[in-house]
Amino acid sequence: MNESSVTQGRLGSFIITVFFLIAGLVALYDTTSYSDSDSQVFPQTVAIAMILFASISLIMQFLKPIGSEGFGRGIWWRRVLLVATMLLACAAMPYFGFLPAGAIAFAGGLMAAMHDRWLLRTLLLYWGSGFVIMVAFFSLFKFALQVPLP
Amino acid sequence: MDFGSFLSALTLLNIALALFGVVAGTIIGSIPGLTATMAVAVLVPITFSMEPASALILLGAIYTGAIYGGAYAAILLNTPGTPSAIATTFDGYPMAKRGDGDLAVALACFASVAGGLVGAFALLFLAPPLASVALAFGPVEYFWLSIFGLSLIASLSNGNLLKGLVGGAFGMLLSTVGVAEISADIRLTFGSQTMIGGFDVVGALIGLYCIPVLIDLCAVPDRHLKVNEGVQKVRIGEAARIALNSKFNLIRSSVIGTLVGILPGAGGSVAGLVAYSEAKRTAKPGQRFGEGEPDGIIATESANNATVGGGFIPTLVLGIPGTPPDAVILGALLVQGVRTGPSLFQESGSIVYTFIYGLLIATVLMLPTGLLIGRYAYKSIVTIPKAVLVPTVGFMTIIGTYAIRNSISDVMIMICLGIFGWLVGRFGFAASPIVLGLILGPIAEQGFVQSWTIGAATSNLTGMFFGRPISQAILAFTVITLLVPFVMARKQKKAVRETES
Repeated sequence: MNESSVTQGRLGSFIITVFFLIAGLVALYDTTSYSDSDSQVFPQTVAIAMILFASISLIMQFLKPIGSEGFGRGIWWRRVLLVATMLLACAAMPYFGFLPAGAIAFAGGLMAAMHDRWLLRTLLLYWGSGFVIMVAFFSLFKFALQVPLP
Repeated sequence: MDFGSFLSALTLLNIALALFGVVAGTIIGSIPGLTATMAVAVLVPITFSMEPASALILLGAIYTGAIYGGAYAAILLNTPGTPSAIATTFDGYPMAKRGDGDLAVALACFASVAGGLVGAFALLFLAPPLASVALAFGPVEYFWLSIFGLSLIASLSNGNLLKGLVGGAFGMLLSTVGVAEISADIRLTFGSQTMIGGFDVVGALIGLYCIPVLIDLCAVPDRHLKVNEGVQKVRIGEAARIALNSKFNLIRSSVIGTLVGILPGAGGSVAGLVAYSEAKRTAKPGQRFGEGEPDGIIATESANNATVGGGFIPTLVLGIPGTPPDAVILGALLVQGVRTGPSLFQESGSIVYTFIYGLLIATVLMLPTGLLIGRYAYKSIVTIPKAVLVPTVGFMTIIGTYAIRNSISDVMIMICLGIFGWLVGRFGFAASPIVLGLILGPIAEQGFVQSWTIGAATSNLTGMFFGRPISQAILAFTVITLLVPFVMARKQKKAVRETES
């Protein structure tokens, strides 16, 4: 690990621990609005434990910093494309139906994961097999398993 | 138990149903999002016109096949096909990544068959006495059992216990989102209608385990799984030798699986986690659990398949389903006119024993079919180009998560949890403690609140939590599990110091 990735790892670790600490505080605050103590006691205990562990973890990160991997190597636009198209597919599902929306996610994933040069053969083969896979799974769930896919 | 029932189970129709059930269950279970419960529920209607024993054999075979099928996705894609296979990912995926995926798949098959047989034999010979174990477990025992499962966090934290504990607590908080089971308060939804239903465990599992792998896979041009050159087949002989050498682990985990299966509501995921914890606690020097240790797969896979037979014990003897698929099967039995209860073995003995023998036959049939399907599953995963594999798995995660509750929000939550899991994983917060908290949280909460209420009502809180023998035994195991890594680390440090001096 080089120095910048060590710094990135420590900073990221610090930010995430602070996030958990805040999440614990927010959860603890939320428990004050419950009407019944039975539903209060468990989340309250867990939230306090989380605040405690996160606080100790923060102190330990100052006293004895341990490097983590950080974001590591990899191409960012591919990661973003994959998750963005999956989220886009979810948003599009009620309007276009499951299969066209799923095709958006599939296309995004295919482009994100394709590191070789596109040739006519791979283009036809990958997109063609993608179409077959999607239709097969859609048919299995919709018609055989009776899942009411939109 | 009679010989006539054994012969009834051996009819061509029953063997064919067992074979079909195992194959269908294995395939359904291997698809992330399709659980054993779903596999059984989907195929229940086709059993209505069958003889009760044949119907039971088919459902039992589907159930046992689905529990085993969950291991494929856990090993090859780091995504538990069913929640029972959560702990299989801990060592299965590291094995697959280093080129031993074929060995891991074969090991999972041997372990599943062994566990399934132990569970089925317990059902055959020990059903009535073992059913009383279920009645001996009160809320406080469930609470301590979940705490025992949570003690696994110590070993799943990637070397940072504090971060693991934070993750575990976060998972438990996630499990409380939505309507509280005990008092119906709406918790941690912050006004969102979408969150009232809470986090679906299977969707969360898919998100936390599978999406980070997909994000990493698409970002780099490397192969998705390493393949050992020269190894062309699933390594059956090697797997059989490893399984035989780990016979103690195999038997212990199968017994744990059977006993946990008997406890209503616990299920395969808890059984796998408890067995894994025990295997890790008793690890030999040099065994590295969490980094591709074959004993980890043996422990979890034998335990989760043993819950099939174990779960049928309270279902048939007491009419209390041990696991969710048992509840579906119980419903199918009622449709068939079979009344479960203590007198079932006397009143409908021929049906019950024919079913148990059928379950044994299905479990044995799982060995050849499992190895065969496993071989093709492994070959498909390693030969399919990554550019096709990533979007295919992505599509499967979407359709699988949607199918659980027919909810687009669940799919959205699954993807967001996946992004969150990837992000925190990059900075030392492993996904496994979060998942442990999410799964064991509801069991811990229910057990804790009920025990607290009973203890407060009887003015004996200490006695309630610490005075019962089963609770004390589980608590002792938990303390030992937590202390062993520290004692071992101290011993190792001392040994190093002595060597240096």
